[in-house]
Formats: sequence, C-alpha cells, structure tokens
Amino acid sequence: MKIKILQEIIKKKASKTEFAIVTNLKNGDSEIFEKGKKLSKNIESYKDHIESFFKSKKNGVIENTDIFVETYIRPINVIIVGAVHIAQYLVDFAKSLNFEISIIDPRGYFATEERFPDLKIINKWPEEAFKDLETNENTALIALTHDPKIDDPAIQHALKNKFYYIGALGSKKTHENRCKRLKDAGFNEMEINSIYGPIGIKLGGRSAPEIALSIISQLVAETYKK
Amino acid sequence: MKNSFDEKILEEANDWVKSNQKVVIATVIQTWGSSPRQVGSRMIVNEKGDFSGSVSGGCVESAVVRECLGLIKENKPCKKIEFKVSNESAWEVGLACGGEIAVYLEQVN
Repeated sequence: MKIKILQEIIKKKASKTEFAIVTNLKNGDSEIFEKGKKLSKNIESYKDHIESFFKSKKNGVIENTDIFVETYIRPINVIIVGAVHIAQYLVDFAKSLNFEISIIDPRGYFATEERFPDLKIINKWPEEAFKDLETNENTALIALTHDPKIDDPAIQHALKNKFYYIGALGSKKTHENRCKRLKDAGFNEMEINSIYGPIGIKLGGRSAPEIALSIISQLVAETYKK
Repeated sequence: MKNSFDEKILEEANDWVKSNQKVVIATVIQTWGSSPRQVGSRMIVNEKGDFSGSVSGGCVESAVVRECLGLIKENKPCKKIEFKVSNESAWEVGLACGGEIAVYLEQVN
C-alpha cells in the first residue's frame, strides 16, 4: 500500500464519511471508493459488487476476481429512551458494536453525566428531543421507561419515521395496554405489530445486564436482517 | 457489525512509518469455515518483528510475522498466504478452530 493512500484512508476515517478500500491483490494497488463519486477505470466495472458489500455490511474478495473490498460503514444510530440502569449496560455493549447511542430522558436525576460519561444525553421530553436528532429508516429505538408519558411519544415518532427497530420494555400486560393506546392514536395493526414488546430475545435472565444483553442481541439480529 | 472507524491499526501503521520503520500490513481477506477474526481484521509488523493487532485467535500470528519479515527482506510489495486446519505435524501454524483463512500482506511504501 502506498503511504499516500494510507494517509488518505486515515483522513477519510477521521471525517466519518462512508467509503471502501478497493485493493487489487495481484499488484497491491489500492484506491478509495466513495458512493456517488466518479470511479477510476480500474474499478468502474466493479461498482455494483462494491455497493453490494455495503448493503450486506461485509468485506471480501469479489467472486472470481483478485479485487478485495473493505467497507467503512457509519455506525447505526440507536436512541434509548430512559437513562435507567439497563441503559448503562446497553451503552457498554454497544461500545464494541457498530452502534452510536443517544439517550433521551426528561428526568434530570436519571440522565446525569456521571452515570453516562462520554455520551450524548438529551435532557428533554421526546417530542422536543427528536427535533435535534436526525432519524430515519436506519435508526433504532429502545424505549426503557415503561412510562407511557415518556415512551409513547418516542414510539409514535419512531413508527412515523419508519425506524427499522422499535423495542419497548414492559410486561405482556404493559405492552397490551401500550398497543391499545397506539391503536387509539391511529396506528394500524401492522405498525403496532412491528414493535418488539416485551423487548429482547428470551434469555431467561432478569438482572439489568442480562436484560441489556437480550435487547442488544435482538438489535444485532434485526440489524443484519434490514 | 464492527466499527471500522474506531479501529486505529492503520493510524498506528502510519505512526510507525513516520518514525522511519518499515511496515507490513496483514489483512484477513477470506475465511472458510469457522475462523476467529472476520474479513478485514488486521495486524501490522515492522522490520524488527514487533507487531500490533491480530488476524486470528493467536494461532497464526507468529507465522504471519515471519512472512512479513521475509517480505521486508526481499523488498516485495505484496503477497497472499493461506492457513488451513491444524494437524499434528504443523500445529504451530494451524488453526485450531478447523477453519481456513487467507491473509494478504502488503508493504507500506
């Protein structure tokens, strides 16, 4: 690899724009691929293959070629509502995964910097908080307060903006009531059924780190499906 | 699901180069069966045999270092090496997991 390319890669990484390193394994020549940018003659014909690596979030050698593709994909935004104990463990797990977490909690005594160092905590009600957040079909929501006043507006925002994952903490009974409220608010059955409630995969554990693990497992699985 | 943006191995390679070291970047480019590190995992090696990062669960790193030193000595730009299932006669460079990996070595120049 040429030192010039290496330094260019480091610059691209720092700017957090999505790109791929495309390497010809025969001669070691590398170049940077960016979506929407004009491609060099050498990699022009591999455009579709390179984009499919982005889609599957994988790296690899393009079949029957000597071209290696390494993708740099932006972390997925995960919004947690409720700066509760489980959220602290979720933040820990997410650190080693490709997730970028924001926490919303209007209750000041929960959302302190001491409990969540190095993290963006939005100390506002969800309706207000979402005004400052860019959200779309690549965003995930984890609602943890099981307080309708706080969770419901966030879930409604997530449904309207077609988040790919919406999970809400609470018992079956709590979730049934939540579904009823959403129905009254005008959401259809398909939308309501897309919510994971009770949140998480069945692990059997009940401690905060175990619940966090079950949630993050479900989130990872759904992220690969999307 | 790895966050490639947060991995600092290429930055480290650049630092090594800046301090006048010869550096080879080793990247996992293919895996078959079960293997501990995914495609895109990296380690870097300098001319003294110091290394950082990993391409397996500790199974083939020593062999990768040797190959990297060879590349620097012969002053070759790149090379692809493959590691297969371990057996008794070659336990040192085999993968105990039963998987296979291809590692691409490239000298920074």
